[in-house]
Order: sequence, then structure tokens, then C-alpha cells
Amino acid sequence: MTDRPAWRGLADPTTPDPDLVAVLTELFTDYRSARPTPTAVVDLDRRLWQRLEDLGLTRLTGSETAGGSGGGWVDAAALLGLAAAAAAPVPLAEHDVLGGWLLEAARLPNDGGLRTVCRPDPSGVALNVTWARDASRIVALWEDRDQWRVSDVTVDRVGIEERRNLAGEPSDTVEFDLDDLEAGTVVAHEIGEQFHLRGALARSAQVVGAMERVVEVVLEHVRERQQFGRPIGRFQAVQHLVSDIACETALARAATDAAVARAAASDWRDPGMLFAVGVAKSCVGHAASVVVRGSHQVLGAIGTTLEHELHTLTRPILARRSEYGSLQDWDETLTALASSAGRDRLWSLITTGRAKAHRTT
Amino acid sequence: MSARLVPPGARELPALTELRLEVRAFLAEQVAAGAFVPHVDTWLTRWDRDFTRELGRRGWLGMVIPTAYGGQGRTYLERFVVTEELLVVGAPVAAHWIAERQIGPSLLRYGTEEQKQAFLPGISRGEVVFGIGMSEPDSGSDLASVRTRAERVDGGWRLTGTKLWTSGAHEADAFFALARSAPLDPAHRHDGLSQFIVDLRAPGVTIRPIISMGGDHHFNEVHLDGVLIPDDRVLGEVGEGWAQVTSELAHERSGPERVLSTFQLLAAAAQAMDDGRLPTDPGLGRHVARVAALHHMSFAVSTALESAEHGADADTAAAVVKVLGTTGEGDIADYVDTLTATGWALDEELDTLLHAAILQRPGFTLRGGTNEILRGVIARGLGMR
Ligand SMILES: Cc1cc2nc3c(=O)[nH]c(=O)nc-3n(C[C@H](O)[C@H](O)[C@H](O)COP(=O)(O)OP(=O)(O)OC[C@H]3O[C@@H](n4cnc5c(N)ncnc54)[C@H](O)[C@@H]3O)c2cc1C
Repeated sequence: MTDRPAWRGLADPTTPDPDLVAVLTELFTDYRSARPTPTAVVDLDRRLWQRLEDLGLTRLTGSETAGGSGGGWVDAAALLGLAAAAAAPVPLAEHDVLGGWLLEAARLPNDGGLRTVCRPDPSGVALNVTWARDASRIVALWEDRDQWRVSDVTVDRVGIEERRNLAGEPSDTVEFDLDDLEAGTVVAHEIGEQFHLRGALARSAQVVGAMERVVEVVLEHVRERQQFGRPIGRFQAVQHLVSDIACETALARAATDAAVARAAASDWRDPGMLFAVGVAKSCVGHAASVVVRGSHQVLGAIGTTLEHELHTLTRPILARRSEYGSLQDWDETLTALASSAGRDRLWSLITTGRAKAHRTT
Repeated sequence: MSARLVPPGARELPALTELRLEVRAFLAEQVAAGAFVPHVDTWLTRWDRDFTRELGRRGWLGMVIPTAYGGQGRTYLERFVVTEELLVVGAPVAAHWIAERQIGPSLLRYGTEEQKQAFLPGISRGEVVFGIGMSEPDSGSDLASVRTRAERVDGGWRLTGTKLWTSGAHEADAFFALARSAPLDPAHRHDGLSQFIVDLRAPGVTIRPIISMGGDHHFNEVHLDGVLIPDDRVLGEVGEGWAQVTSELAHERSGPERVLSTFQLLAAAAQAMDDGRLPTDPGLGRHVARVAALHHMSFAVSTALESAEHGADADTAAAVVKVLGTTGEGDIADYVDTLTATGWALDEELDTLLHAAILQRPGFTLRGGTNEILRGVIARGLGMR
């Protein structure tokens, strides 16, 4: 191509496959229009899961040889975000992006049966394991004397105490038999380290997707709701609240997309991933405070009711921002990276994720 | 699909990183050689004509101006990384900032061939210095209410009125003055405005300093007393001043200087935490994360401007960057202040940066359009107005 514009050699816009986005948008619009009114407790939607499975979406990121669809992180983040925007109760992050990946890393077979994932403590107990009661198997990543082991344990071999998280979703306590964990396959150290980062970024993608839907819900409301003889969106105070919600959401989106793009471009090998994921987790977490508070304020009393869509978004936003590290944990991680970069390398840390500049040639 | 305020993200490719590192290496040498002392808010407060000319010699000014007019004929993305590198190191860039950022692009878009020849080569060399003549005593946020009058005379126009808060007017060669060239029609307030290129040394121009709260002299009152503007110094079309000034503001609002004015303070705070002179505190990580996200966001805006696919949305996107960025750069000043106790004087450098940042901070969310006005721009972008 002779008329390729100069900027093409300088910047590479990162966008998900438009065909995939079209399919997902249709799928989740359908789902939203047909679903029953919101409930306080949320259970797995097996029909939706089946539909996703038929479309190859429950194994989107699995390699094709392992029965997956060979999708990358950019597409996976789009799927997680759109599913979260529809408040779809399906374990896409646990089953595919995390569990499926661990099984492949350990070269363990994957029969496609529904899985969740967790990191049990030394005594074999894992807390807040989302969807554990619904899974056929639980993929466990376990640290055993400086080694990481992956086991794919059938649910009949674990003890499950049923609990629910802030979003009303299954978030169970799981107790493993130590023999099953000790029999796990040893995986490379990076796998153990990456698991936390992948989990944190998957959660960020979900929270951003949900926040984007909150912005839509808010905009619909301020156009329709009338007070003092006009739509409340005409009031400047309301406009400024909504603008702040939208700005924080956009910032969280920029941070998450940047981390996803870096992960996709390097297959998670880029040494700047810790910083990039931390930036996403921090911006997403702080945005959540503004978005949840502001959206409930704009919606008024109706937004606090069970029948309204808003809590199906705001509850998962808050539940997920604290998974794979609290906001405070991540801000502390970033603080440590920034202070050890020091005055002269802070900017290098921000642009590359590493304190030392590298030519990328 | 969701209402997208900001264009999708983009990755910086190696060719751009090369340029970034080249500029960074030069600046590190300059700091090491003592050519300048890194500071905060340098794009408004630190003038160094020699340094500016040196940047011109290196081809880092007028980057988007075509070579035919003495510029570099490069892209907005290349300009973006150069400006980021200059800002984060706290280099003295005020002398060329306004001319380079908004006057050059406005001249390219609206100027006559003669005007382009007359000003663009000097801007690209860092020799021609411009100010902004928009605000007035009674016209701040409501810019369309400007009262400076332009009266038609033989061969040109006579300008009478007062421009206020004109940054650097005492150092500048010229500014673009927004003036009313036709009587106000209350039903069409944006009509009848025009832009004029005013020689600040011309007879009838009086420049009086206005001292900022820290005691420094950055901005001015510029009194125009029947200043004669020849016809060939009208910018663009008579009566089209509002559209032109709006396009100029898009350049004024969208750059990395709306995020990075206090970066040197943030960097010094990071160093002080590492040295144990400041308590380790997660707030540092939070601010660093926001700066990083804004870096990605403004890069995305620049990429979209360059590819022009989202050109129409850039006003809203620029407002988003500016609201978040100027709030954040001010919050950094306040944050570092909350970490330091009175009587704490272990670090001259941090102290100097902190005090300057705190005193400059109120201006961050005012200049170039206040954050309240910009939230209105964003609300319009969201379809609320
Ligand atoms: C450091 C600095 C440098 C500057 N340099 C220049 C320069 O070089 N050239 C130049 O032309 N100007 C310059 N300015 C002026 C700047 O553009 C104005 O300060 C700005 O446009 C606001 O105008 P104002 O100060 O008159 O405040 P006002 O417009 O009087 O606003 C006061 C307050 O009221 C709020 N407000 C006003 N209208 C509304 C509304 N409709 N809705 C909600 N809130 C509203 C504002 O947000 C603000 O909080 C500079 C300003 C600063 C601080």
C-alpha cells in the first residue's frame, strides 16, 4: 500500500474483532430483554451458558488444539465486559480465562465441563470461590513449598459451604483434600505469579463493562424522569454528576484497555504487566466509588429497589473490585513500584511499566 | 452499545518510542549540564528563549507545520510524545508553548498564504512568540460576550478594548484578539465576532502586569486603544471568529500539559518516599495510576485526531482529558501537602516544587475553560443538552 498514512507506523489502535462484538451485542441484548425481573440472589443461568457454549464463547481463549476458539485477550476482555454489562450470571472469567488457561498451562485435559477456579491456602481451604456449587470441577492453583501445582478436582471430592457475595452470587468456601492438591501438576513459576494478574485484569474488564452500562442506565433515566416540569437531565447539577460518572468510567476504560493491549501484544510476557494491571485495578476501583455513588444519587429512590436494573450492576461492581487484591493492596503495589523507580525513572515506569527505559526495536 | 466519550486505545509503536527516547536523552543531558532546573507548570511560568530556539534547531518545534513553511511536516503523534517528554522533565517551554500549540495550527487552517509565510517559519524556529487574547474583564466563561470592538477604517480595522489574563503578553510579539466586528444580535450571540493578529508592539497597545498570588508576573492586562490592524492581519473570515476560536480551543484543551503540570512534584514525592523522607502511602500509587491512565487516554485522542476517524468527537474527548487531568494535577499538589508537616524542611527541592504547585493549582481548573464549563461540554457530548 503506497498511501498508508504516516501515523500507521507510529500507533496501533487496539479494538476487538467487530464481528465478535456484533454477535455479543445481539446475544446480550436478547438476554436482557427476555430475563426475569432482578432478584436479590443470583444463580447461574444454565440456558445462557448453553447458548454461549454453542457459540464457542465459553472457551473463547482456549487454544484450538485444546478445544478452544483461539481468541486473544482483546476479544476476551470485550466478552467479559459485555457480559458484565448485561449482568449475565455466567462464570466466563473463572471457567475460561482463568481455569481453562491453568489447565492448558499444566497440560491437563479439559472436557469443557463447567469449571471454577481458586487458590486454596496451605491447609487446602479457599474462600469466596465464585460459582463453586455449580461447577463440575474446580481448578486449584496451590503453592506447595516454592512450587505451584495445578489440580482439576471433581466437586464430589471437595467440601462446599454455600455462601454468597455482595452481588448475591454463589461465593462458596471450598475445602480440598490435601492429597488432591499434592497430586497436582507442577507448573512454571510465572504461572503462579500471572494468575493473580490475570484475575485482576479480568475483574477490571468486567467492572468497566458494568460501569459503561451504568452510564447508559443513568442517561436513559435523566432523559425520561421529569421534575419541576422538565427532564432532570436539564439541571446543571445533574449534568455535572453524570459527567463525572462518565469521565471516571472513561478513565477506567483507558487503563483497562491499555493493560489488555499490553497483555495481548506480549502474551503476558511483557515485564510491565504488573504495573499495567495495577493501573487498571486502581483506576477501576476508584472509579467504582464515583460511579456507584453518583448513579444511585441520580436515579433517586427507584434506583434502590429490587426491581430496578441498577443494583444488578452496582453490586457486582463493588463485589468484583475487591477480588484479586483490594484497591488498597494495588495502590500499595503501585506505590512500591513508583517509589523504587524514583524521581528519574517514574516517567519510564508510566510509559513502559518498567523503571528502566528499553528500546523496543 | 455504550456511549463512548473517548476513542479506543492505541499502542505506541517502536518508531515513536525512538523519538521519545531521543528527546528524553537530550533533556537528561540538559538537566545534568544545569541548562535548566526542573520545575512545575513550566509551560506557563518558565521562559527561556535560548532553550526554545535550541528545540527549534533540533526539529522539535513546528512539528505539524509543513516543511514549506519551515516546519517539520510530521504528525500530531510525534508532536505529542515530544511535548510529553518536555513536560515531565519540567523544562522551560513557556516561550514557544502557545504559538506552537494553537497559533500554528490556527494559521495553517485559517491564515492567508502571506500570513503563513510571515509567521510559521518563525514559530518553527522558536523565534516568534504569541499570546492568547480571548478573556476580558467582563468576559470569562461567557467568551461570546467580549466587548473589544473592531471598527472598520480605511485599509483595515481599529481595535478598542481590554484583554485580561493574557499570559506572557509582556514577552510576546503578538496575539490573536477576539473582537466584536458587528453589533451584538442577542438572538445570534456567536455572530459578528472576528479574530485579529495584533502586533503587541504597535502604537495604542499598553501592557500592564498582573501579579499572581505567589508574587510572580505571568499574566497581564492588555489595553487596546484604537490599535490599527491592516486588512492583511485579519485572521480567517470576518464574522467567523466564533467558529475559529472554538477550533483553536480544541488544540488548547487537548494536550498533555493538562495532565502533567505537577509531574515533577509527583516524581520528587516518589523519590522522597524511597529515601524515607516522606511516609510510604498508597495515595502515591493512586495518583501514578491516574497519570498513567490519562497518558493512555490522551494518546488515544491524539491517534484519533491523526486518523481523523473520530475527529468530530475530539472536542468531547479533549474535555474529558482536561477535566480529569487538571483535577488530578491539582490533587497531586494537595496530596503531597497533606503528607508533609510544618517544620518539615528536609528537602529544599520538594519544598520548592510543592509551594509552587500549590500556588499555581487554582489556575489549573480555570485556564482554557473552567471545569464547570467543560462538564457542560461533556454533558452535551452525552446528549443531555
Ligand atoms: C493562570 C491563568 C492563565 C490564563 N491565561 C489566559 C490567556 O493567556 N489568555 C486569555 O484569554 N485568558 C487567560 N486566562 C483566563 C481564563 O480563560 C479564564 O479565567 C476562564 O475562562 C474563566 O473565566 P473567569 O476567570 O472570568 O471566571 P468566570 O467565568 O467568572 O467564572 C467564575 C466561576 O463561575 C463558574 N461559572 C461561570 N459560568 C458558569 C456556567 N455557565 N455554569 C456553571 N458555572 C459557571 C466558573 O466555572 C467559575 O467557577 C487565564 C487564566 C488563568 C487562571
